[in-house]
Amino acid sequence: MTGRLARRLALVVVCLACAGIVVAYQVTRPAEERRIGQPFVPSPQFFLDFSPSFRTTIADAYWLQTIQYYGEHVRTDQRYDRLKAMIDLVTMLSPKFERAYLFGAYALLDAGLAQEAYDLLGRGFEENPDAWKLATNAGILMYSYGAEDVKREVAAKWFEKAAAVEGAPLYVSRIAARLLGEGGEVDKALALWAEVYATGDKYSRAKALAGMDAILPKDPATRRAALERVRDLMAPRTFSELVRKLGAG
Amino acid sequence: MRQTGAIALNTFKETIRDRVLAVIVLFALLMIVASLWLGSISLGEEGRVMKDFGLVAVTFFGLVVAAFIAAGLIHKEVEKRTVFVLFSKPVSRAAFIAGKFLGLAVTLAVVVAGMGLFLFVVVWVIDGAPTWMVLAAVALIYVQLLVVVAVTIFFSTLGSAILASVLGICVFIAGQLSTNVLELTRLGQNALTEALSWVVFVLIPNLTAVDVKPAVVGEQTADWGAIGLWCGYLVAYVVVVLALATAVFRRREF
Repeated sequence: MTGRLARRLALVVVCLACAGIVVAYQVTRPAEERRIGQPFVPSPQFFLDFSPSFRTTIADAYWLQTIQYYGEHVRTDQRYDRLKAMIDLVTMLSPKFERAYLFGAYALLDAGLAQEAYDLLGRGFEENPDAWKLATNAGILMYSYGAEDVKREVAAKWFEKAAAVEGAPLYVSRIAARLLGEGGEVDKALALWAEVYATGDKYSRAKALAGMDAILPKDPATRRAALERVRDLMAPRTFSELVRKLGAG
Repeated sequence: MRQTGAIALNTFKETIRDRVLAVIVLFALLMIVASLWLGSISLGEEGRVMKDFGLVAVTFFGLVVAAFIAAGLIHKEVEKRTVFVLFSKPVSRAAFIAGKFLGLAVTLAVVVAGMGLFLFVVVWVIDGAPTWMVLAAVALIYVQLLVVVAVTIFFSTLGSAILASVLGICVFIAGQLSTNVLELTRLGQNALTEALSWVVFVLIPNLTAVDVKPAVVGEQTADWGAIGLWCGYLVAYVVVVLALATAVFRRREF
């Protein structure tokens, strides 16, 4: 009886000692600075060939890794050696993943890769022609980082494409109209401003009036003739109001 | 038919009570819940991550159930000697194989439907709207798993249970790569390689054809007409494999 009790006690002591060692080791182990490793990023074609059914899941896994990778490097060395490969992998495995293009573009900008960021947004819009945000952001990037002699014109084209997407907010049309007007494309600019005027709120209408006023001829008769080209874009009453407000009546 | 029904019912009762099954389902549900955490670090893509990882969890745990339980169905009967009692009665080998398959198919339907509905509800809560494609994807995962069950039963009539499980899983993996085999046939280096590739292509079930996981997250549009036809192909494949399993099983002496 005593022998059995002693054996049990010994067993309990051994178990407690082991548990103590496990906890003590974990608690007292010197905290090591986590090393930032280089993630393994295979070619997208590899996954497309060998796991077509799971390509979006792999894209998601790499998406989470890309966010972690960007976050870690933004806080530390600001080196993004594998970032482009990771973003390319995610967007090629999942070409409809709109947020990956947007996040990727701005992360690439942080990496000093403005051209790659712009190209990524362009590719994203090709794959997602309904994603007005991609075209808008491509326009913004072009306007901010493009060559001085072409940036307005190219940015205007992007905003024009974005404005043509159903559901795009009015400010996109406003920006497009303004840039087109600045670039001398009066007809396109006038059409976009007219659309903004016809469908916009009070603020948008004021912007549209100012925009049209800037690009239309000053002479009332010529101005009226130019405005006739946008008559079909709005209700007759709205058109009359527009003509009156622009002093072309 | 009555014999098959009785064996199927018995197999269903036997497998649904299996504790291993409960543990697997519990793990699957935990995996799906764990996807919530992954979603929280996805920069606003919770719904997408949940759908993708949730469907992979359903596939993976469904595959474990299909391969490991199917492999033991016939071996258990042989080991426990119940097969001798069974075949002393007027029960055909075909009815036995079909009954075993149908019984596990019902169990698998319960398991996969449970996991699928859980995923569907979680995705609904996250997205704020029901994603019916999740249910469609789960149903098509079930069709793929039925093929694995049939193939594993076939292999279990040939060899050990563990080998049958491994081969069942291998066929599932190969089924995901079916189109790659087709690519090999087009290389056309020599006639023998091309012919062999064609044989492999025909033998491997084309499981990717009924996979709509990318469509659930909007990556592609599901062609339901074609998918329906491919489902018919997989059902025919199951019938052929079960017929082969019966033919092999008939040769065994009890």
